Amino acid sequence: MMGKLLEVKNLQVQFDIFGAHVQAVRGVTFELNKGETLAIVGESGSGKSVTSKALMGLIPNPPGKIKEGQIVFEGKDLVANTEKDWMKLRGKDISMIFQDPMTALNPTMKVGKQIMEGLILHQHMSKSQARERAIDLLRRVGIPNPEKRVEEYPHQFSGGMRQRVVIAIALACNPKVLIADEPTTALDVTIQAQILDLMRDIQKDTGTAIILITHDLGVVANMAQRVAVMYGGKIVETGTLDEIFYNPKHPYTWGLLSSMPKLHAKTDKLQAIPGTPPDLSNPPKGCPFAPRCPYAMKVCVDQMPAYTHLSETQKAACWLQDERAPKVEPPKTIGVGGE
Amino acid sequence: MTSANEKITNEMFQPADLAQSESEKISENVVSVWRDAMRRFFQNKGALASLVILTLIILLAIFGPYFNHYGANTQDLNKSNLPPKISALSFLPFFSGEQAGVDIYQQHNVHEDHWFGTDQLGRDLWTRTWDGTRVSLLIALIATLADVFIGVTYGGISGYFGGAVDNILQRIIEIISGIPSLILTILLILIMKPGITTITISILLTNWVPMSRIVRGEVLKFKNQEFILASTTLGASHKRVLFKHLIPNSMGMIIVNTMFSIPTAIFFEAFLSFIGLGIRDPQASLGSLINSGYEVLQLQPYQTLYPGLVLCLLLISFNLIGNGLRDALDPKLRR
Amino acid sequence: MGRYVLKRIGFMIVTFFVVVTLTFIAMKMLPGTPFLNPKLDPTQRQALMHEYGLDQPLAIQYVKYIWELLQGNMGTSFQYGNEEVTTLLFQKFPVSMNLGFEAIIIGAILGTLLGIFAGLHRGKFLDWGSMIFSMLGISIPSFIFAGILQYFLGVAIPLFPVAGWEGASSHVLPVASLAVGVLAEVAIFMRTEMVEVLNQDYIVTAKAKGLSKNAVVFKHAVRNALIPVVTILGPLTAAIITGSLVIEDIFGIPGIGDQYVKSIVTNDYPMIMGTTELYAALFILTIFIVDLLYGVIDPRIRVSGGHN
Ligand SMILES: Nc1ncnc2c1ncn2[C@@H]1O[C@H](COP(=O)(O)OP(=O)(O)OP(=O)(O)O)[C@@H](O)[C@H]1O
Ligand code: SF4
Ligand SMILES: [Mg+2]
Repeated sequence: MMGKLLEVKNLQVQFDIFGAHVQAVRGVTFELNKGETLAIVGESGSGKSVTSKALMGLIPNPPGKIKEGQIVFEGKDLVANTEKDWMKLRGKDISMIFQDPMTALNPTMKVGKQIMEGLILHQHMSKSQARERAIDLLRRVGIPNPEKRVEEYPHQFSGGMRQRVVIAIALACNPKVLIADEPTTALDVTIQAQILDLMRDIQKDTGTAIILITHDLGVVANMAQRVAVMYGGKIVETGTLDEIFYNPKHPYTWGLLSSMPKLHAKTDKLQAIPGTPPDLSNPPKGCPFAPRCPYAMKVCVDQMPAYTHLSETQKAACWLQDERAPKVEPPKTIGVGGE
Repeated sequence: MTSANEKITNEMFQPADLAQSESEKISENVVSVWRDAMRRFFQNKGALASLVILTLIILLAIFGPYFNHYGANTQDLNKSNLPPKISALSFLPFFSGEQAGVDIYQQHNVHEDHWFGTDQLGRDLWTRTWDGTRVSLLIALIATLADVFIGVTYGGISGYFGGAVDNILQRIIEIISGIPSLILTILLILIMKPGITTITISILLTNWVPMSRIVRGEVLKFKNQEFILASTTLGASHKRVLFKHLIPNSMGMIIVNTMFSIPTAIFFEAFLSFIGLGIRDPQASLGSLINSGYEVLQLQPYQTLYPGLVLCLLLISFNLIGNGLRDALDPKLRR
Repeated sequence: MGRYVLKRIGFMIVTFFVVVTLTFIAMKMLPGTPFLNPKLDPTQRQALMHEYGLDQPLAIQYVKYIWELLQGNMGTSFQYGNEEVTTLLFQKFPVSMNLGFEAIIIGAILGTLLGIFAGLHRGKFLDWGSMIFSMLGISIPSFIFAGILQYFLGVAIPLFPVAGWEGASSHVLPVASLAVGVLAEVAIFMRTEMVEVLNQDYIVTAKAKGLSKNAVVFKHAVRNALIPVVTILGPLTAAIITGSLVIEDIFGIPGIGDQYVKSIVTNDYPMIMGTTELYAALFILTIFIVDLLYGVIDPRIRVSGGHN
């Protein structure tokens, strides 16, 4: 493995709204190595976006705050950062791509100018240099006729093209970490593939490490080397791509994998996990998945399962890993597994 | 978690079937939208205070004139321009009945109190102020009716039927709103004589336009949603779909907008009466009272003060209640 | 864009003619034309009616009326010794225009600043303060505000003249009375827009680039929040026209607002018609200009030329 670039330790984020304390992230720990792609998967509301925003110092405060934990980037704890420190870091060392390209661009500013802003700020380029570089970047992300397109406004671009612009903005200053928060969810399937190809290409060129947030395990299989599965503000299982897909240990991961449509399946019916995620303003004492878990035991209700290290790279937080627990086989419906 | 581990016994690893009970709990947590909105509204101090003030004003408008025996038009030139006097509160300078140290009441040999003083013709301003407030409240009622009956129906039909009907109705709206309502009203006043009827007609002509636009927008938004399509497929009549489904779903917006159109109408009446094109003497209206007060503003400012205060409180209260309702019902804030 | 402008101009003309026609009808329905004076004997009346073309069929009268109007001929005022209505309007209009412009510009600028300020400090004390101020500004009618200013700053502490329209100091009170409403309206609107814009994804994008808070606010948020403010200029103009009727009266300013009220009270019909038409034209034109302006400053409309 190449060296650690980013280490998140016991991160806890809380939002105070209407007198409730929403514990969106409850002790997340993971690391990111140089040049790799880490996928964070999990259903809506599990805290993926909040985690990624914390990495950029973009948790809106109020109502949000980092309650505890560390974010160590190149040996420095970012949680202690001042706003000034963050400004130097954002867009330069760590960049972000957002879910919805239709709203992520300023509708009244020319696309070129939106790319140039970061360059002028971080790389102290002159306007004309920045413009040249913006054109290069647009070309690099596959936008034809970039000399003309820099002068256009976002609404003159299609959704896929806008996402390319968003990527160009994020890549402008050659960041070391690129956080992509569901970069393809809002796009249609053929465009999705193009955007993912583009991200992989760019990673090959620049060696940027990517944190890829998604619901889509198909995307994960195509892109990531390692996977973290989030549920109820916690990482419930993490491992290499193969470990998570071929040897998953957590019932929630099983559920996710079963809900993934198989490529050659005869039906395209999704097997959704029944039930709803926990209320994070009043998080359960025990395993957050217990109310929906078909294997839930009495212990799960009010005892938080600890991580069991299954290999050097894989760990899972589930009472089933306890030796006293009954032996349970993962369901046969799991997407890529088996065969 | 290791410390907790010690208390963990083997039988705790028995399956627990809690999938169902827990998810039921969650569904109980879904508070009804309306109750939620009410709760938020009552947390809004400004709106709540306004509600109290408004209730007080309404009560005073109804009963105030009966608190004394003066009629709204009883003139008594001997009593002209008396300052306010409340015997029980006469230690307060503005209720002492004195002006520049002279007890005007004694000077004129008047033994009864006039709580808000009297005007140039010696009419009791307390009575006249509340009498005028009745006009404002009547206008509020008319504006509400215009909004609800004309605006909602017009907008509902326009949005629901769409196509040519919508096109024609919207072109008409465009022309109506292209003419300032002041001008329409003044043309009306020329044909008819100034007064409450004329103002009522002009409100009926113009005040509902914003409401119809809003309802049309809402209906367009809901029209193609599943529950509406379902009931259409089940053979519900147009009238039923429109009035049983679409409009109740827009109720929040309708209520909020009514609250905002009321002060507009009240202002309009007061304004017309102020410039002498609305309610005219001897009938009282807050606008006309303020106007006659202005003639003696420098010497008898109280003649403007009380009707002005009531008018401002009315307008502020309606606006704040409208604001409170909007914030309480705004789905954007619900998240 | 060209087609859109043409369509809008067509609509303006239609609306204007509706007003003109309504005015004409109103005049025809008037209960008391001067010629119904009972002192006139029938032949005299006949002669007068003939002289003014009132014995002709309505349709012909209408066409004539329009024709005269198109030539800028609005008849003569009853009040001012048969002076031309057009001349009177030309005389008094600049004063009202001046008052209205000062109020709208001062109100819009201060309102915008207050709104930005409140939106940036959402939920804080300053936000509450400026919004309470704006609520009062929206609720209190200009004619009451004028009285308050007149009483306190004109009578109690005589800082400014309470009437007249000569010299800068005489502008202060009337312009302030009119501007407060505009200021409040713009401030509340601007604040809502700011809050809305600050919640948009592209603001996060801008922050994620590492821009400073000021750069995010002024380069990204304010511009986007400012664009829709243009749309309330139409209603504001109507409010200013309405307001000027009372403000000119209260402060004795020789503009058309004051004139309008006087002509209505004295049944000076030609003058009423002329002023009504002038106001209508002004209002329709403002809405048109606002629409075009919106197209110019919002790139989404500018390029595609569409308009929903
Ligand atoms: N600004 C905020 N204010 C209050 N609560 C918030 C805020 N942002 C996020 N949350 C809460 O934090 C929790 C996690 O949200 P988050 O956006 O991280 O979910 P997610 O995993 O990214 O889901 P999705 O897949 O839908 O994007 C949610 O319960 C949400 O209500
Ligand atoms: S800890 Fe219990 S409830 Fe949670 S996933 Fe494992 S078995 Fe299911
Ligand atoms: Mg998210």
